[in-house]
Amino acid sequence: MFTTGSKYFIGLTALSVVATVLYLFLVNPSDLGALALVGLITSAATLSGVSIFTRDSDTETVEQAVDASAGPASASFWPIVVALGAAMVLLGLATEPVVFVLGIAVLVGGGVEWMVQGWSDRASANAAYNSEVRAKVLGGIEYPGLSAVLTIIVAFLFSRIFLAVSKDAATIFFMLVAAVIFALGFVFAARTDLRKKALSVVLPVSIALLAIAGVVSALSGERKQLVDAAREDHFAIEHRECGEEASKYYDKHANNRVPLRKAVIATITVENNEVSAKMIGLDRKVDTITIPRMNSTTVLFRNLDDSERRLVVNLGSAKVGDTDVVEPLGTCTQLTGKGQEQVLTLTIPKPATAEEPFSFTVPGANGEIKLVVP
Amino acid sequence: MDTVSRVKSSRRRILGTLVGIAASATLAGCAQNAPQDTWEPKGPNAEMIHDLDNLVFPIAYVVGIIVLGLALYIFWKFKDRGQEIPVQGHGKPYMEITLTVVPALILSVVGVFTFRTIFDLAETQDTEIVINVTGQQWWWEYDYPVQPEHGINQPIVTSGQLVFPAGTKVLLRETSRDVIHSYWIPALNGKKDAVPGRVHLLRLEANEPGLYAGQCAEFCGLSHANMRMEAIALSKEDFAKWVANQQKAYVPPAAGTVEAEGEAVYIAQCARCHQVNGLKDAQGKPIISAPDEYVYSGAAPNLTALMTRNTFAGAMFDLVNEKCRADVWGAPSEKFGEAYLKGVTEDCLNQKDLRAWLRNAPEMKPMYAEPNLLGPSDGKYRGMPYLALTEDDIDKLVAYLLTLK
Ligand code: HEC
Ligand SMILES: [Cu+2]
Repeated sequence: MFTTGSKYFIGLTALSVVATVLYLFLVNPSDLGALALVGLITSAATLSGVSIFTRDSDTETVEQAVDASAGPASASFWPIVVALGAAMVLLGLATEPVVFVLGIAVLVGGGVEWMVQGWSDRASANAAYNSEVRAKVLGGIEYPGLSAVLTIIVAFLFSRIFLAVSKDAATIFFMLVAAVIFALGFVFAARTDLRKKALSVVLPVSIALLAIAGVVSALSGERKQLVDAAREDHFAIEHRECGEEASKYYDKHANNRVPLRKAVIATITVENNEVSAKMIGLDRKVDTITIPRMNSTTVLFRNLDDSERRLVVNLGSAKVGDTDVVEPLGTCTQLTGKGQEQVLTLTIPKPATAEEPFSFTVPGANGEIKLVVP
Repeated sequence: MDTVSRVKSSRRRILGTLVGIAASATLAGCAQNAPQDTWEPKGPNAEMIHDLDNLVFPIAYVVGIIVLGLALYIFWKFKDRGQEIPVQGHGKPYMEITLTVVPALILSVVGVFTFRTIFDLAETQDTEIVINVTGQQWWWEYDYPVQPEHGINQPIVTSGQLVFPAGTKVLLRETSRDVIHSYWIPALNGKKDAVPGRVHLLRLEANEPGLYAGQCAEFCGLSHANMRMEAIALSKEDFAKWVANQQKAYVPPAAGTVEAEGEAVYIAQCARCHQVNGLKDAQGKPIISAPDEYVYSGAAPNLTALMTRNTFAGAMFDLVNEKCRADVWGAPSEKFGEAYLKGVTEDCLNQKDLRAWLRNAPEMKPMYAEPNLLGPSDGKYRGMPYLALTEDDIDKLVAYLLTLK
């Protein structure tokens, strides 16, 4: 098993991993310190490998090792994996960063597997025991790791299909798939004798089908709506809201649908320096907003212009305390940037007087919206 | 009595009670005068719900009877007669699969139709008129935002009775000033909660002019059961008349009359809570009520056109006497608008209940209106308090209130 010397190096590796992580998060992710620590990890890991492999060059253990290596070492495909990883790293440097990162992952994974296998093959002369210690060391990582990778692949393939086929087809297709999986689950639950045989057929076949469908869909590209919507910049933050665009995939009635907006009685928009308003439920612009008295009411302000703006509500004026000083009443939103929105929640106890009607205005923009409190 | 016969007689009593309950429940279904019957839709939205019921209920009945029948059969068949306990098996896969798949299929059929109806009911794009509905303990306020295409040039505020044009797609924007209430006119649509701080949309549409009764459907405190409402559908012409009348300028009673004395009492006693649009004080300044200072919800009914409605206090009481009420409720659809627009005349007024209300409102309708118990609501009333008015004041007030139409 682990030799005295290797334990030291393994500990050093673990410690330097921890130090690197802490350094990356707490100090600075992008300077030479991190690089030095990564270097430490690499060398400590290499040394642990070497010292396990050579059993600390201890003659006694070397004798055992000779004994152990007398049996045939099990065939290993890890060198191939490591080579693939190295190739991906090089390719990734020249092409996509994703390939580079995946390459690193393959390299590290393959390296660890190779190392552990090399060590376990020589752990004793007993092959069964050797494979058992190997499983003990790596089993706890291999299965979760493998299933995570599988899940990612399956989800990725499914998502390609989702993006390529039409919305209706996707719905029907996935209902069918779910139903089939459900049914198979039932059959396997009921017929235990079927399980192994059938699974060994069903699983590879369905994975192959999924892979084919996924690759074909990925190659045929996303469905037209998505391509068009992407061209309209539908998904960009500043495009969340409706504008003048006569585009097809814009959510024009967002204020009737989005949950937050359930609390909004009206939307006041400033666009091209003009203030306009819409009341929830009325599909046209209004110049008056009616708010019942003493009724906590929320108004949404949306700025579609380049300059920062704020919504101001003018609620007349009142004397300050017992003095003769008269102060305007009202409130406003904060300055709101292009394409952004804020809400103003008002509870107004009294209607306006004839001399001082209430209104919404946007300083710097034209037009006002009358506010009526009956 | 020995134990056996005692058990027998108590069994018989339980059985008797059950049969009694079942019989009265069944008979209640035959009631003639049931304005809140959900099985008699009077508008497109309620009809959609009704159509769905017509699909779902038969399925539910068949399933219910099969399940109940099987259960009863099994009770009887495997009743303990001292026989041996049968062999205990462990699952029958095909049976279990069937029993899972069949209900799933039934539910998906029901589900598809239910969702379609829900989406149809949520449609608001083709709204023709918007009315704000605000619930508070324990009455509903309706305000009509400015909508020149319907002749509404200044907001109209009323309570208890929601007046709207028949054959028109009305959109209610519901909210609440205190706790959650729920607006429900069974003949016109399903329920929709009115939640403080949120605006919920509910579509109403009536096929014919008429009066459709409803009830707050979310428990909201002491007088929840007395929080009622009526939806009044008028023909388009009649609705236009109603709108015009609601916006009429206030005419103060002539000086020296009882009505004028009533106005003075009103200004002294009632104007702090109730708004009468156009009412002015001695200096000619408009009087603005301040229910926010006295009432927990911050609102009290607007009395500007009190006598154009037939009910008061959350539609709990009639404002018209029994004879005049029968005239409105019994009017055929074509005549309904005419009967309703008459409003409350002096000989139609339900003097008894209105006077009792002014004498001591909390006695008529349970409300948290005792001054010494107002701690939890910051000293504010929930509902209208006892005002210790003299009979003389009440006479004057009634005379004055009769002018508000
Ligand atoms: C402290 C505030 C307050 C005062 C003062 C007050 N009321 Fe009220 N009144 C209310 C509230 C709140 C209601 C609603 C109660 C309900 O229906 O549950 C109401 C209901 C009514 C109604 C029924 C209206 C409708 O449409 O349902 C009438 C009529 C009425 N009040 C008349 C008067 C008169 C007349 C006075 C003066 C003598 C008066 N009130 C004083 C708070 C007040
Ligand atoms: Cu209620």
